[in-house]
Amino acid sequence: MSTFSKKISRLSLLSLLSLMSLLSLLSLITHGCSGSYPIDEDGLLVTDRAECYVSNFELLGTDHLTVRVEGELPAIDTAAGTISIKAKFGTDLKHLYPQFSLVTDAKLEPKITGLTDFSDLERPRQYTVISGNRKVRKTYTIYVEVEHL
Amino acid sequence: MKSLSKKLPPLLLAFLLPLTSLTPSGCTEKDTEVALLKNDCLKRSVGPNVVGLDIEFAYAMATPYGAGRIVSACVEADIAGAPQTWLEHRYYHTDRETGADVGMTVGNPSVNDGNRTTVEFTVDTCAATLRYYYRIPEEARGKSVTFTFSATSSAGETVSMKMGPYAISKMDIKKNISARSAARFLSIEDMAVYSAADAAKIPEKIDLVYLRPDGSSPYYDLIGPAFVSPAADPQYRPGVTLPAGANNDTKIRKEYGVHDRHLATLDGPNAVSSGVFIDDVDFETIKLDDMPDYALGLRQYSCLWVETHDGRYRAFIYVSALNGEGVSSCTIHIKRLKIK
Repeated sequence: MSTFSKKISRLSLLSLLSLMSLLSLLSLITHGCSGSYPIDEDGLLVTDRAECYVSNFELLGTDHLTVRVEGELPAIDTAAGTISIKAKFGTDLKHLYPQFSLVTDAKLEPKITGLTDFSDLERPRQYTVISGNRKVRKTYTIYVEVEHL
Repeated sequence: MKSLSKKLPPLLLAFLLPLTSLTPSGCTEKDTEVALLKNDCLKRSVGPNVVGLDIEFAYAMATPYGAGRIVSACVEADIAGAPQTWLEHRYYHTDRETGADVGMTVGNPSVNDGNRTTVEFTVDTCAATLRYYYRIPEEARGKSVTFTFSATSSAGETVSMKMGPYAISKMDIKKNISARSAARFLSIEDMAVYSAADAAKIPEKIDLVYLRPDGSSPYYDLIGPAFVSPAADPQYRPGVTLPAGANNDTKIRKEYGVHDRHLATLDGPNAVSSGVFIDDVDFETIKLDDMPDYALGLRQYSCLWVETHDGRYRAFIYVSALNGEGVSSCTIHIKRLKIK
């Protein structure tokens, strides 16, 4: 084979490889965004799950330990949309971390970004659970009672 | 040269030509004299440098075998250390079987002379690593300290290296304070607890009251071991009579398990190994003005961020031990920074 032919065949091989890479990339793009599992505005996967509830709830103090009275579990009423919890005597309701356990794929609104003030007992805080498919919303009202002498 | 330039890519020539021009002028006769005595140093202690504690270094020096021996090592600090400052006159190696440090004496115990700490070698050795412990003096508080390590060989060579500057913290530390019913009135300014009789003499200095209701009391489970400010709601300090005039409203933020290494590194069963340090910046940035004036239900390893009523001091209190059920006693350790 002449030098010229060798160069031509090498060039063809390179072109073929480039074309294959481009096709693979195109295939990835078209199949990667098929829309089966879209992403929501928080970058979380939207799934098929329609379940929407709180499975557990805690209130933590600034020391990240529970302020709940020992042995008294929070009363979570999904039908009524209420969570009642009894906090220990002397709990500082102005500085608490709420901690929710949610059903799979659900998310919470508003987001918990730090210490939260639960001291306004007349206007208890509300949180909304949004299902995995983002179509079902359930609002819970948090009632905090502080242990007395 | 023309044929060479044809063969070599022009870019390569562009790199090579400046190098060839440097070679004859870059190496003078003086530069070829290589110092034989070498040294190196590393800082062994970590965390904030607090007055009363040590900054620790390991200083290594060596000269080739047959090129003389080391005759002295010296450290000069730009702020003289406290009298407890010293330079080891031993170097250490690890025993292969036991893993223990084994010291080998190389000289006389160090001598402090002003800012300088010196060890004169008494053995014929060409290498050693000596540890240096700089006890931070009161004069260094809030400043920075720089060290110059140097070594001299019998061949007349001297090497040196600078370490630092290292910032010295403004905070104070007080460890092993026992708060109990007989001495439950805590002053952050004094970093001490007082009995009721002594507290009555300085009520304006009392920032916190320690209490632990008796096991038979209805408050036993509700309140538990607690630190309460004198101005707090009296329901949080049942059975405690305050000294007349004690009315400071101290702000408290509860934490748990912040094992500050300076405070939690203790002798005995309550020692905790930790790499956490509370530093000046933590005191300066923490916001405590809207925190409550009491902390109930403390347990071992509870911690308290505290701000005094006048805002002059912020403190971090680490509870290392609560001594037995119903026994009104706890052991605390304090870091404190004067804010204004």
